[in-house]
Amino acid sequence: MSAKPADVMTEPKKQLKRRSRKADITAPAPAEFGLPKAVRRLRRKAPAYAMQGLVELSTRLREATGHEIIDLNRVMGLAQFAYQQRELAHRGTAYAVDDFGFDPQWTESFLSVFKVLYRDYWRVETTGIENVPATGRALLVANHAGVLPWDGTMIKTAMFVEHPQPRHVRALVASLFMGMPVLSWFLRRTGQTVGHPDDTRRLLERDELVLVFPEGVKGTGKPFKDRYRLRRFGRGGFVSTAIRAGAPIIPVSVVGSEEIYPMLADLAPVARALGMPYVPVTPFWPWLGPLGLLPLPSKWRIEFHEPIHVEEYLPEAADDRNLVMALADEVRETIQKGVYENLKRRRSVFT
Amino acid sequence: MISSPNRVLITGVSNPLGAEVARRLAPQVPHLFGCDVADPVSALEEMDFVHADTRHAVIAKLIRQLSIDTVVHMAVTVDSAREDRATHETNVIGTMNVITGCTGPSSRVERLVVKSSQAIYDAGPTDPSFFSEDMVGPERQGSFITRDLRELEQLVGEFTLRNSGCDVTVLRLGYRVAEESTLAKYLSLPIVPTFAGFDPRLQLLHDEDAAEAIVRSVIGRHPGVFNVAGSGVVLVSQAIAIMGGRPAPVLLPYGRWTARFGLRAMTGISLPGHLADVLAFGSVADCARLAEEFGWGPAYSTRAVMDSFARGKEAEVIEAPSPTQEYELQVFLQRRRRQELRGQSAASTSLVTRR
Repeated sequence: MSAKPADVMTEPKKQLKRRSRKADITAPAPAEFGLPKAVRRLRRKAPAYAMQGLVELSTRLREATGHEIIDLNRVMGLAQFAYQQRELAHRGTAYAVDDFGFDPQWTESFLSVFKVLYRDYWRVETTGIENVPATGRALLVANHAGVLPWDGTMIKTAMFVEHPQPRHVRALVASLFMGMPVLSWFLRRTGQTVGHPDDTRRLLERDELVLVFPEGVKGTGKPFKDRYRLRRFGRGGFVSTAIRAGAPIIPVSVVGSEEIYPMLADLAPVARALGMPYVPVTPFWPWLGPLGLLPLPSKWRIEFHEPIHVEEYLPEAADDRNLVMALADEVRETIQKGVYENLKRRRSVFT
Repeated sequence: MISSPNRVLITGVSNPLGAEVARRLAPQVPHLFGCDVADPVSALEEMDFVHADTRHAVIAKLIRQLSIDTVVHMAVTVDSAREDRATHETNVIGTMNVITGCTGPSSRVERLVVKSSQAIYDAGPTDPSFFSEDMVGPERQGSFITRDLRELEQLVGEFTLRNSGCDVTVLRLGYRVAEESTLAKYLSLPIVPTFAGFDPRLQLLHDEDAAEAIVRSVIGRHPGVFNVAGSGVVLVSQAIAIMGGRPAPVLLPYGRWTARFGLRAMTGISLPGHLADVLAFGSVADCARLAEEFGWGPAYSTRAVMDSFARGKEAEVIEAPSPTQEYELQVFLQRRRRQELRGQSAASTSLVTRR
């Protein structure tokens, strides 16, 4: 308060008294005021009671059926999610994003939800995670499919579920999505950046794990009948960048992402009018409205292949078109072969 | 060739940044001249002030008559929302006149420092995350300030090519939130209309660092084009929260002029076109070249600039408002707003208005 003490001292006592009664800022009343004490206590303890009840129910069900019906670890995961969200709401401005706009704490708060999708919904089986280095730069190259980029999300989650030393994977996205509201904000905040050679170089120079989908929207927007047939791998730009930055290339094959939204047709004119790469028609979208956005629970397999050590080449080799295209083809072949092998290992689409 | 500057002319010396540069240069150079259309804010004994407009050819004559050897060209307007003749004349024609004064056999100018801006990059969704100095291309049609700056730098570039005897430094200063800049006014609104679904990165430069960079390029010898901006970034929502405001995502991201019109109708702030792009897509410059060549970098990080600005506005910087603190913060902000509305005298009695 900026009132000078001298003013207060010299003011008549009567006026001071009147003033003190007129304070227009009053402390907010407690929200639960007026509720009976028992109800208030119940409200406060509701989460604890719910947990207790769930534990009880889980034990009873296990005794009755002999199977684990309610997995308490998963339940705790979701409780952790709620807790983390509350923590985030209270951290105010005391956080820092990196130069790309990546907010690790915010991103990690979503992990518990993605882990449920990873373990229970798509039952992802990951092999070859030991090929991903625990430290230092590396470029993950994966096939891209399934309308929405759930494959990227699952590769990121796999690094946290399977790897002994979890790391954040920084994916590169088409600049098109960086111009879209909500998406641009969400993607940047969770560590993605524009698929620009300059950005890739900078990320690799910071010893990050970078994920790139050379197929781009050609991969996600391909019709269902072409599933698991890899598209053209850009112009091999990712190989040049990896050679220049001295980062090994790790091919990644993802199986299962093709079936989450079986794309029957593409409404190209609508897409053109809306400025989108494609507008899919699936058996459920757009017929069921928002329900059509629910991905199908296909069985997923992710395989991380042996690294291709392109860092052994001199940086000048990045300008050698023959070498770059040969390496890009090698990566594409590895991924394609991996996709077919993992398809064979899968019994059916959903098991 | 003289290694240290002897007779220095500063154009646009009356704006706060120009005054700060003059104040820092005064003890370091023997003769200091300043020119502007307006009177300087504070008198500086060591500086000779000349009323002169860079938009007139007389500036070229002035440079010759005073036998200037170092020109610091700061009469460049960036923070202007209206696309008017005067801004274009100041930025392009003014620079042309200054360059004319530096050219020719009778000129003794050996060093030219030009203040440009990061606005030359004009943010967009397809841009890489960091702008380096060579990323200025004619591909995109930016806002009029961007076009002006591009033309200005082109003139300077041509001059550099033709006059190898003259060291030319172009400093692309980052966005600043000091004094009455539009960005500062925008961020200190109590409820800030932002672009719906966008929360870009913001990179800022402290005025002290801006002045220091200009002084260093006058005293030292660093020809070339340099980005100057604070390290690190803050998100727009974070910056608003630091200022104690609340973001309101109401501006439509499509059609930049509708958003600018809406903002003017709601808050009375007219946003320059390039700033609207920055607030939608973000603009971050890579200052590696500056660090390498100058051996110096801005002392204030972006976060520090934001915090010092908030402190300057007498808003408490609360690191993490817990629920109990939040109420106190609201009290504080209400009081501050009332003080601004009614002035200091009314504010002293403002706690007592309602029974």
